[in-house]
Amino acid sequence: MASRRRKPAGKAQISLVVNGEPTEVAFSPHKTLLEVLREDLGLTGTKHGCELGECGTCTVLLDGQPVLSCLALALACDGKRVETVEGMARGAVLHPLQETFADLGAAQCGYCTPGFLLVAKALLEENPSPTRDQIKQALAGNLCRCTGYLKIYEAVELAAARMQGEEAEAKEETLYGRR
Amino acid sequence: MLPKFSYVRATSLDEAVRLLSSDDGARVCAGGSDLLGCLRDQVFECSRVVSLTGIDGLRGIARTRDGGVRIGALTTIADVAADPTINQSYPGLAQAAGELASPQLRNQGTIGGNICQKPRCWYYRGDFDCLRKGGTTCHAVAGESEFHCILGGAGCFVVHPSDTAPALVALQATVRIAGRRGTRSVPMEEFYVLPNQDVRRETVLEPHEIVTEIVLPRPAAGMRSSYHKVRARGAWDFALAGVALALQFSGNRVTAGRVVLSGAAPTPWRSREAEEAIIGKQLDAATAAAAGRAAMEDAVPLRRNGYKIPLFQGVIEEALLAIGRA
Amino acid sequence: MKQILDLTVNGRPYEVAVRPGAMLLDVLRDELQLTGTKRGCELGDCGACTVLVDGRAVNSCLMLALEAQGRQVTTVEGVASGNGLHPIQQALVEAGAIQCGFCTPGMVVRAKALVDANPQPTDDEIRAALSGNLCRCTGYAKIIEAVKSAALYLQAKQPAKLQFATQRSAAHLSIVGKRLPKPDAPAKATGRATYTDDIALPNMIYGKLLLSPVPHANIKSIDTSKAEALAGVHVVMTGADVPDLTYGTSPARYDENVLAKDKVRYVGDVVAAVAAVDEETCYKALSLIDVEYEELPAVFDAHSAMKEGAPRLFDQKYENNINTRVDHHFGDVEKGFAEADYVREATFVGNRAYQNPIEPHCAIAEWDTHGKVTLYTSTQVVHYVHHQLSRVLGMPLGNIRVIMHHTGGGFGSKAATNPLEIISILLSKKAGRPVKMRFSRAEMYLYGRGRHKQHIELKIGVKKDGTITAVKHKAVLEGGAYSSFGVVTVYYAGSMIPTLYKIPNYKYDGYRVNTNLPPCGAMRGHGCPHPRFAFESLLSMIAEDIGMDPIDIRLKNAMEPETRTCNDLDIHSCEFKACLEQVREASGWDKKKGKLPPGRGIGIGCGGFVSGAGYPIYRSQFPHSNAMIKIEEDGSKAVLFTGEADIGQGSNTVLAQMAAEAMGITLDRVDVVSADSDTTPLGFGAYSSRVTLMGGNAAKMAGEEVKKQVLHAAAKLLEIPEEKLDARANQVFAKDQPEKSIPWNEAATAFFAENGPLVGKGHYSPPKGLGGKYKGAAVGTSPAYSFSAAVCEVEVDMETGKVKVLNFWDAHDCGTAINPLAVEGQVQGAVVMGLSETLLENEVFDSSGTIVNADLHNYLMATSMDSPIIDCSLVDSYEPEGPFGAKEVGEGATLPVLGAIANAVADAVGVRIQDLPITPEKVLNGLKSRGPTLAANSGQGTHGRSRVSSTPAS
Repeated sequence: MASRRRKPAGKAQISLVVNGEPTEVAFSPHKTLLEVLREDLGLTGTKHGCELGECGTCTVLLDGQPVLSCLALALACDGKRVETVEGMARGAVLHPLQETFADLGAAQCGYCTPGFLLVAKALLEENPSPTRDQIKQALAGNLCRCTGYLKIYEAVELAAARMQGEEAEAKEETLYGRR
Repeated sequence: MLPKFSYVRATSLDEAVRLLSSDDGARVCAGGSDLLGCLRDQVFECSRVVSLTGIDGLRGIARTRDGGVRIGALTTIADVAADPTINQSYPGLAQAAGELASPQLRNQGTIGGNICQKPRCWYYRGDFDCLRKGGTTCHAVAGESEFHCILGGAGCFVVHPSDTAPALVALQATVRIAGRRGTRSVPMEEFYVLPNQDVRRETVLEPHEIVTEIVLPRPAAGMRSSYHKVRARGAWDFALAGVALALQFSGNRVTAGRVVLSGAAPTPWRSREAEEAIIGKQLDAATAAAAGRAAMEDAVPLRRNGYKIPLFQGVIEEALLAIGRA
Repeated sequence: MKQILDLTVNGRPYEVAVRPGAMLLDVLRDELQLTGTKRGCELGDCGACTVLVDGRAVNSCLMLALEAQGRQVTTVEGVASGNGLHPIQQALVEAGAIQCGFCTPGMVVRAKALVDANPQPTDDEIRAALSGNLCRCTGYAKIIEAVKSAALYLQAKQPAKLQFATQRSAAHLSIVGKRLPKPDAPAKATGRATYTDDIALPNMIYGKLLLSPVPHANIKSIDTSKAEALAGVHVVMTGADVPDLTYGTSPARYDENVLAKDKVRYVGDVVAAVAAVDEETCYKALSLIDVEYEELPAVFDAHSAMKEGAPRLFDQKYENNINTRVDHHFGDVEKGFAEADYVREATFVGNRAYQNPIEPHCAIAEWDTHGKVTLYTSTQVVHYVHHQLSRVLGMPLGNIRVIMHHTGGGFGSKAATNPLEIISILLSKKAGRPVKMRFSRAEMYLYGRGRHKQHIELKIGVKKDGTITAVKHKAVLEGGAYSSFGVVTVYYAGSMIPTLYKIPNYKYDGYRVNTNLPPCGAMRGHGCPHPRFAFESLLSMIAEDIGMDPIDIRLKNAMEPETRTCNDLDIHSCEFKACLEQVREASGWDKKKGKLPPGRGIGIGCGGFVSGAGYPIYRSQFPHSNAMIKIEEDGSKAVLFTGEADIGQGSNTVLAQMAAEAMGITLDRVDVVSADSDTTPLGFGAYSSRVTLMGGNAAKMAGEEVKKQVLHAAAKLLEIPEEKLDARANQVFAKDQPEKSIPWNEAATAFFAENGPLVGKGHYSPPKGLGGKYKGAAVGTSPAYSFSAAVCEVEVDMETGKVKVLNFWDAHDCGTAINPLAVEGQVQGAVVMGLSETLLENEVFDSSGTIVNADLHNYLMATSMDSPIIDCSLVDSYEPEGPFGAKEVGEGATLPVLGAIANAVADAVGVRIQDLPITPEKVLNGLKSRGPTLAANSGQGTHGRSRVSSTPAS
């Protein structure tokens, strides 16, 4: 049977390095990086929150810089490195931030957590010992409705300390509150 | 695991020939059912797949001016089996096409691909370094040879897997081939290569050549053809023994014709001994039995396939008696 | 470099970037998430991946995706519109033509192409059209029937309703004993049912095993550095990285390493494992692992392996490679033979058959961050996998969750823990990502666990009237490299012989021998089909010799109810004689036997099996089957939780039927959650034909407990004492005044409101103390035994030796058939699998111990073209130990088949083939050696105490 060749509707194809793995993917040109990650690459750790760049839960690192994947056209990411929350752990070993977020109760519903983790990771890579204010500023684009942020800041601080080689433990009041 | 290859869909024969000529690792893909199996079994390397499916004019069955038939190489086996002209004028070919593989594979496989199949020997397809793949021995000789050849083997003892090829040899078909130096025609009978000629190839095709069509001559007056196949399983099974007949009758006497065996030899095997035994005769029980015996006169079985001799005698006898009654 | 492919699937246009080497199947499943299309063999042999391309059925595993450029593809997901079923799907559901369901999508699509092109196909046209789609469960009969019905539906006609007489034992029941389609069948017909390989977890990677290329060797060194350096590789693992504990199936013979520690024992033994981003990268990494082998001499057949000085697979264990030795003697065979008027002995050889479920094994492991792992796996035995993982990994059961979704057939090949299950967990732990591992078709054969090839010497003595006086039986089982089920297999091979006929004196010598081949295990009928083939053949030979009708000699010796066999097995219900009479009548035996033209023949074979093993595989204190039922608060639904595994045999359906009957509600009000170790209570799973009886007793007990509570609540509402109430068909009513009633759900709701959750639980353990006191007495014990008889009619082509089975008549005593439709499905499937084993199947190994036909076109399995016309009937029977009187059918129905065909072939051409399979080669050789005259008898019998020996025909 003769094939009916019709003009392709014009899918775009790009190369990406996602969490260290080179990959090629084709998608409709209007798709955002968030959609491509979730729908075409099956990486659902990155969350849809507002799709307007307001909540920060879709944050990923693009060539090491935090970007809102819901506002980034995937086409514009050709050839770049993307890091998502799935790429943070090394094998079975969690990233220190993941550990401290878990231990300190910095994640409640967990929906905003991937975005926070990646922003914090980028922060610590640039500034290994941030002050509380610097942390607050860095995380200001990420909304959290559960935790009230306090434990998130503390988790970032504890991770920073541990990543500096300190044998830091969570403060008692962090874990149990003031007595 | 499939090897890593690139894929090009040629849009003209010239382009396909050019692509094949420019890359030693290029392979033609028509229906793909044999090629992809070979690649999955790692029978040979492949760096580029040249698909023929984008080339116009390689499909279809049409009458030739002299009353014969042309079958485009990309015509599916299912289409050959179902074609009214083939069924009417060349029933042996229609039967062979209808008996081979499975319905899905008949929908995928093409007539050109079917006659160019690689052997199905389990050593050749398996992880064995055999003669046909450039090794030093044929493992069937000392090994498991129940499905191997009893005629025409020399060093290598595969059987040719095609059902349509013996029918086409019997019907005196010609293969049209396109290549770097233009096109050429080869009679089906001369299309195949025995191991004693070249153990590394099955056909006379050069790597840059492509089968474009098969041409069947007009059936002579009084021509009858048939294909009989014995297989263990009721479907999707290669011939343990098969016989393609294309015989000319005058009254109930055979005046000319061919007897070609499948499952017997590394190529479709024309049995001139059987032909001699029947030409000029009526196909009675004694003649049929004599033809069966004659066909097997030179047969040399391996360790496990001696049963093929009585099997061929039986199926030749049955086929001749049936066509005599037709 | 990927290329853009633009195609239309089920009417929707897609564009997708694909690798040039990707098949259409890969793109449909992995890129478009259309997992209804199944991966069965990847060589175009099985048809499970069939889709329509521009209206024509093709194998999508053999079509480059890029070749689908611009074409219209229809998959099973696109056959029906909306939530409905296409008439083909509807007909398959109604006809009971869907068992494991793994071949179903391909069948649906293929059948659609057929009826689109040919609206009124004949049976032969249907068979031919489906001949490229292999099914291992159904035997094709019901599929063919369904396609015919579908064609009628499409022409707006109704197919004829089948006449079916209810068994006496089910006459008073409303759900049990009815021919009911399986509730899970529509999901299987539409491609929605999820098999393990259909699951894709986020961020999942893949694992593959490095298998030994040599049959026997010491591993001198392994260098994994090149593999580890390859981009995309996450973990490389060797024997040094896995627990030292060995594992296996029988505790006394745990002799397998998770990965080889220092030695490999067959071509296919597991050496190393890799986890990487995709399977391609895994294979590439495996090729980069350097293993230095020091080859050792190997041995491939049992008789050579047993010889003094033969290469030893295990240095310490298993003297002369004899893995298990059985020495049983009941009564006194010498005395028995002395009392015989006629004695004959013969040698028989079985074949190495492989179960070949259409679904390849697959496992996916995923760890949480608290040390708990979830394993999705294609298994028959969630509990045994759970137990073995706990042992090998040193983790409590509670930290391991084993989930079986749908399993695409097993037949014994998935009845034990396999390397994928253990290694996916280990790889996943190290990688920190979910790991999927699956076998290719070739790897399935290398993992093995198929039927043991048995070499059998059998001797039977009879009186003039056919009464059996003694049986002597020696069997040598070729076991392959590891024990697997082998200990049990060699006991079963002997212990089941005295269950079918009354045998006063019986001696059995069994040897299970290790060889350097893939390990053999338990396949449908576990150890019994070959000895049963030998026995049924020899019994018919003896009948001919002494001038007795083969059915008469069986009736003379047939087992009777409430009998203790010579080897201390307790038979309760037994309607074997009724089975024999039934097939004699149905087949027209008396008009055919000895009266058919040359080349045509008729033969009888019989069999039977345990309804669940009397003892578990390892020592366990727990009930064998357990069940819980939870009722929704509005009383609208009961959810039955069972650990048993529905692998296509329909156990979820029959368990739901029994629970529904016990509760007094209809089947549509019962849902089943099964085979999930976190949510369902322990059940030993689908092996030894145990689920209907054992799982059924537990489900029934749980249902009865629910009913008791519902009646308690209803008593208050109706103001009638509890003991005067009963429930049926969703109503609670007074037994003596049925008009006084309330809806069942109202009573259930009332109970919940007052007492909290309405739940019931049940459990079943076989009777204590089953079996005798001798060594190995446990094997063969069971709460109940099935019985069956089959007559087969064949046509043999005298010129080519080709055997065609025309008809089969089977009668089965399975007690009360909980679902006769499912019973027929089991019988038809067993007949065709048995036929396939008898005529076609055999694994072939090269002299280096390498299998050469590890696929589905060199290893031949019956197609729709090979399936005979099968008449199956039930006899009236009631098993007191079984739920509602039920016992087994799935395995027992296989047993008569081999002997029936061999006897029919002998009747047709006078050639007695005593080694399987019965190929054209052997028939021709037999015809040749028999000479020109057609003597009806192959061996001449001598009366008195002299012996006649016959050896296999080739």
